[in-house]
Amino acid sequence: MTNLAMWARLKSPWVIHFNSGACNGCDIEVVALLTPRYDVERFGIKLEPSPRHADVLLVTGSVTKQCADRLKRIYDQMPQPKFVVAIGACACSGGVFQGTYGTLGGVDKVLPVNAYIPGCPPRPEAIIDGVVKLLNALAAPPAPPKASEEEAATEAPAEEVTEVPAETAPDAPEEVKKDAE
Amino acid sequence: MIDYPLLIFRVLVFPGFTFILLFTMFCDWVERKVEARMQNRMGPSFTGPHGILQPIADFIKMLTKEEITPCDSKRNVYKYAPILALSVLVFAMAFLPIDGSSVIPGVSFAGDLIFVMALVSVANFMLFLAGWSSTNPYSAIGAARVMTQFLGYDIPLVLLALVPAFLAKSLTISTIVASQWLPFAILAPWAFVLFIITMQAELEKDPFDVPHAESEVVAGHETEYSGGKLAFLKLARDVQIVFGAALITVLFLGGANGPVPFGFLPELWGTLWFVLKVLVIVVLSEYLTVLFARLRIDQVVRVNWQFILPLTVLSLILTLSLAYWVYPMV
Amino acid sequence: MPSNGIDILKILEDKLQNKPVQIVPGTLGTAAIITKSGSHRDVFQILVDADEKTAVVSITGIDLGENLGVYYHVRTSNALLTIQIEVPKANPTLASVNDITPSAAFHELEVTDLIGAVFEGNPSSGHFVLPDTWPEGVYPLRKDVNACEVKLDPPAAEEKSDDGKLVKIVIGPQHPALLEPEKFVVLVEGETVREVRPRIGYVHRGIEKASESRTYLQDVYLVERICGICNSCHACAFVESVEKILKLEVPPRAKYLRTIILELNRLHSHLLTLGHAGLEIGYETLFQYFWRDREPIMDITEILTGNRVISSSMTVGGVRRDLKETDIPKVKAVLSGLKKRLPFYVKVYREEPTIGLRMQKVGTLKRENALKLGVVGPVARGSGVDIDVRKDAPYEAYGEIPFKVITYDAGDTWARMNVRMDEVEESINIIEYALDHLPEGPFRVRAPRVVPAGEVVNRVEAPRGELFYYVKSNGTAFPDRVKVRTPTFANIPAFLTTAVGEPLADVPPNFVSLDPCFSCTDR
Repeated sequence: MTNLAMWARLKSPWVIHFNSGACNGCDIEVVALLTPRYDVERFGIKLEPSPRHADVLLVTGSVTKQCADRLKRIYDQMPQPKFVVAIGACACSGGVFQGTYGTLGGVDKVLPVNAYIPGCPPRPEAIIDGVVKLLNALAAPPAPPKASEEEAATEAPAEEVTEVPAETAPDAPEEVKKDAE
Repeated sequence: MIDYPLLIFRVLVFPGFTFILLFTMFCDWVERKVEARMQNRMGPSFTGPHGILQPIADFIKMLTKEEITPCDSKRNVYKYAPILALSVLVFAMAFLPIDGSSVIPGVSFAGDLIFVMALVSVANFMLFLAGWSSTNPYSAIGAARVMTQFLGYDIPLVLLALVPAFLAKSLTISTIVASQWLPFAILAPWAFVLFIITMQAELEKDPFDVPHAESEVVAGHETEYSGGKLAFLKLARDVQIVFGAALITVLFLGGANGPVPFGFLPELWGTLWFVLKVLVIVVLSEYLTVLFARLRIDQVVRVNWQFILPLTVLSLILTLSLAYWVYPMV
Repeated sequence: MPSNGIDILKILEDKLQNKPVQIVPGTLGTAAIITKSGSHRDVFQILVDADEKTAVVSITGIDLGENLGVYYHVRTSNALLTIQIEVPKANPTLASVNDITPSAAFHELEVTDLIGAVFEGNPSSGHFVLPDTWPEGVYPLRKDVNACEVKLDPPAAEEKSDDGKLVKIVIGPQHPALLEPEKFVVLVEGETVREVRPRIGYVHRGIEKASESRTYLQDVYLVERICGICNSCHACAFVESVEKILKLEVPPRAKYLRTIILELNRLHSHLLTLGHAGLEIGYETLFQYFWRDREPIMDITEILTGNRVISSSMTVGGVRRDLKETDIPKVKAVLSGLKKRLPFYVKVYREEPTIGLRMQKVGTLKRENALKLGVVGPVARGSGVDIDVRKDAPYEAYGEIPFKVITYDAGDTWARMNVRMDEVEESINIIEYALDHLPEGPFRVRAPRVVPAGEVVNRVEAPRGELFYYVKSNGTAFPDRVKVRTPTFANIPAFLTTAVGEPLADVPPNFVSLDPCFSCTDR
C-alpha cells in the first residue's frame, strides 16, 4: 500500500510556482518547462493554479520583505505531504541581491527547503533534473541522516539536492484555520 | 428469476462501476495525449506504457494527500458534494446501454431518457454546491458560472435530445438505440452538430470553459478542495465528459450497434463498438478544445440565446416534418 | 533640427523671460531647466500647451546633503528635458504637477515613498513601493539612512473595508494570471469593474540603493537583474550612461553586436507575451506554439552571448564576446526559419474569431488618453502614438539601420498585440541587416574603473517601451545615484483607467496586453 502511494506520488508531482521577488529570468524558465521542447507533462508534472492542489512549491526570487508573509501563507495552504524547491541563485542564497534592503536573502529564511537548484537562471533541464532528484531522494530508503549529494554538470549549472526530510506525517489535522486565498 | 451473482458482477465490475471508472481514466489519458500531440508536446509518457497509467497515479496520489476543510465552509455540503456528484453521474451512466443493454438489466423504463437528463442536471448542481460551499470568492464565482452556463445550455440540450426521440418515436433509451439501423447522425446531421456544440458547453470545454478560466477564477469551484475530495471532484468531471460522449453515442451514433452484426459474444462486440464511438467523440471534443480560445461569460450566454436556441428549435421543426412526411416514405 | 518643427527651447525662453528659470542646453538630455518650487508649474503648463506629446518620463529624487533634489525628466516630441528643483530637507514640500499632466502622478508617489519629498496636491496613502511593515518617516534613498538595518513594524491586521455594494476581488499576489507577485484589488459590481486599486512593491528589492554600494562593473550585473526578460536593455542603458560620462566612443562592431543582442531580447520578449496572452484567454495551443518557436531564439542568444536568458554581454566599452564568423549562418538559418512561420501567426492574430471576440474593443485607450497618461512602447503605438526611442533618439546602430515604426489606431488589446506581432518581423529584419553589415574591428575598448563626476540621462527602447536611466557619478568607483524608470511603471496607469467599466473577464487580456513586468516596476 505504501509502495503504491509512493509510486503515485513520484509519478504525479503537481507543482505550484511562486515568484517571491525574482527578476523573471527564472520564472520564464519555469514556464518554459511546460512548453514543447521541455514538456514536463511527460513526467506527470502539472502546474496547478491553486496551492491546495499542489505537492511541490517552486519558489523563485530572493524573498522580498513584502512577499515573505504571503509565501508562508501559500506554504500553509498546501496539503501534506509538501515539498519546497528553491530555484535560482536568489532563492538559494539571495544571489546578486544579497544585502539589499528589500530582500531577506533566500527561501530558507522563511520555509524549510527540500532542494536547491542554483543558476542565474538555471536552465530548464537543470530544473527538471533538480525536481527528479528530489523525487528520487524521496523514493530512496531514508538510511543516512544527512543525505547530501552534489554534482557538477559540465555546461548547465550544478544542482545540489540537500536536506531531504523523512516522510511528513500523513495524518495531519484535517481542519486548518485559514482564510481564503 | 434474477441471477444475483451476475447482477452484482454487472453493477460492480462490468459494465458497471469498475469498468466505467477505468474507462473514464483511459479517456482522460486519451484527452491529455491528444491535447499534447496537437500542441507539439509528448504528454504523459513515463507512467506505464506511453503514460497510460497517469490518471490512475494522479488519482491515487490525491487520495493520499491531506484533506483541508476551510473553517468558513458549509461543512456537510462541502464534504459530500464531490462524492455525490460522482455517484449521480455513475448512476446516470448505468442507464446507458454500454454492452447492448443497460448496466442493471430490466432497469430501463419508458421515458428513462428524461430521467437521465435530469440526473445530469442534479450532478451539475452538486458541482455548483461544491463551489458555493467552500466560501472562497474564486470558488463562488466559478460556481456561479457553472450555474449560469448550465441553466442556459440545458434547454437546447434537452430539446436536441428530443430529436432522436422523435425519430425513434420513443423516450426510452433502449428503443432509441434499437431503432438506429442507420445512425441518427446521418438522418439528422444538423441536430448532431448542434448537440456536439451544446454538449461542449454543457461539459465546460473550450471555447465554453468559462468556469475553469484559470486566469480569472483560479481553479473555479475546485479551488479550495484538496486530497480525496479533490480526487472525487476531478473524477466526477472526467466521468461527466465520458458521460457526455456516451450520450452522444447513444442518441446519434447507434450506441453498441456495430456496422456488422456478430453472433458470437454480442456483449463484447457491442462494448467494443460503444467504446470506439465514445473515443471518437472524446477526440473530436478535445480537438475543438485545442482549436479555440475561451469566450467571455456574457459571450457564452449570448451565443446560447442568439444562435444555439433558435437553431435548436429550427432543427426540431425540421426533424419533425421530415420524420412525419419524408422518412416514412424512404 | 526638430522634425515636426516645435523648437521647445525657444518657446520656453520666450515665455519664461521674467521668471526665476535658468535654461542650460546640452546637459541632462536636450536641456536642463533649473527652477524653483512653484515656477516649475509654469514650465509644465507651457510645455503641455506647446507639445501634445509632453509627458513626465520620470522623477528622480536625490539626496544632495542639505537639500533634496527633485528632477522631473520630461519628454516632448523631439526633446528630453530635465527640470531641476531643490527643496530643503527640513521642509521638503513642493507643488504637484499631477493636475497639469496626469503622467506625473505615479512618479510623484514613488518619490514621496523613497526619499520623502512631499507633493502638495498628490497625497499618498500608505506605502507605494516599500513593504507595508516599513516604518513611517524612514526614506531608504537618503544617504544618512542605513536601509538594511531598518527595523520593520509588526504586520498590521488586514482591515476589512466596506465598499457598499461592490464586491472586492483580489488579484494577486499569487494568481495564475500574474507570473509575478503584485496585488490588484478589483472592485466589481456584478461582473463589471468599477475600480482597480493597485498595490505594487511586492518585488521591491532596493536595487537603486544597492547600486550605490557596488562598483560600476558590478552594477552592470545588478541592473541586468532588474528584469530577466529585457535584461540586455537594462545593461545597455546603464553602460551607455557610464560611457556618456566617460565620453567613451564604442567601436562600431560593438554597436552592431549590441543592436543584435537588443533585438534578440525584443524578439524573445514579444514571442513570450504573444504566447502568454493566449494563456490568459484560455488558448493554450497558441501559447505552446509561440513558446516552441521562441526556443530557437534562446538558442541563438546562447550562441551570441553564452547564456540563454540573462545574457551578461554588455560591458562598459563594448560587448564581452565577439560573434564568430562561423556562427553567423546558424543565426541566419534560425531567423529565416522563424520568418517563414510568421505569416501563419500573423494570420492567427488577425483573423482567428475567438481571439477577435476576446481582444477587440477590450481595454481601449484613446490616443488623447495615451498622450495624457504618458504611456510608452507598444501600448502607445497601439493607440496611434508613434513614439519609439530607436527612431526619436537613435542609439547604438539604430541610426544606420532602416526599419519601420509600427502603429495601430484602434488602441485596444488586439491592436497592442498586433503591434508586437508586426514588430517581430521588423526585429528579424534589423538583425539580418545588422549581420549583413557587421563592421570589422575590435568589439570592446578598455574603460577606466573610476568614473569622473558628472550626471547623464539615457533612454533605450526596451521591448515594453522607453527605458530611462539617470546616472550620477561622484568621481569614485561607485555611482552616486542610479535612477531607473521602467516602461511598465509608465504603462500601469493605462490599465487602471481602461479596465474600469469593462467585464471582470476582460481584466486578464487587457492586463497582459501591457506586457507587465513587475520586477521592472518595483526594482
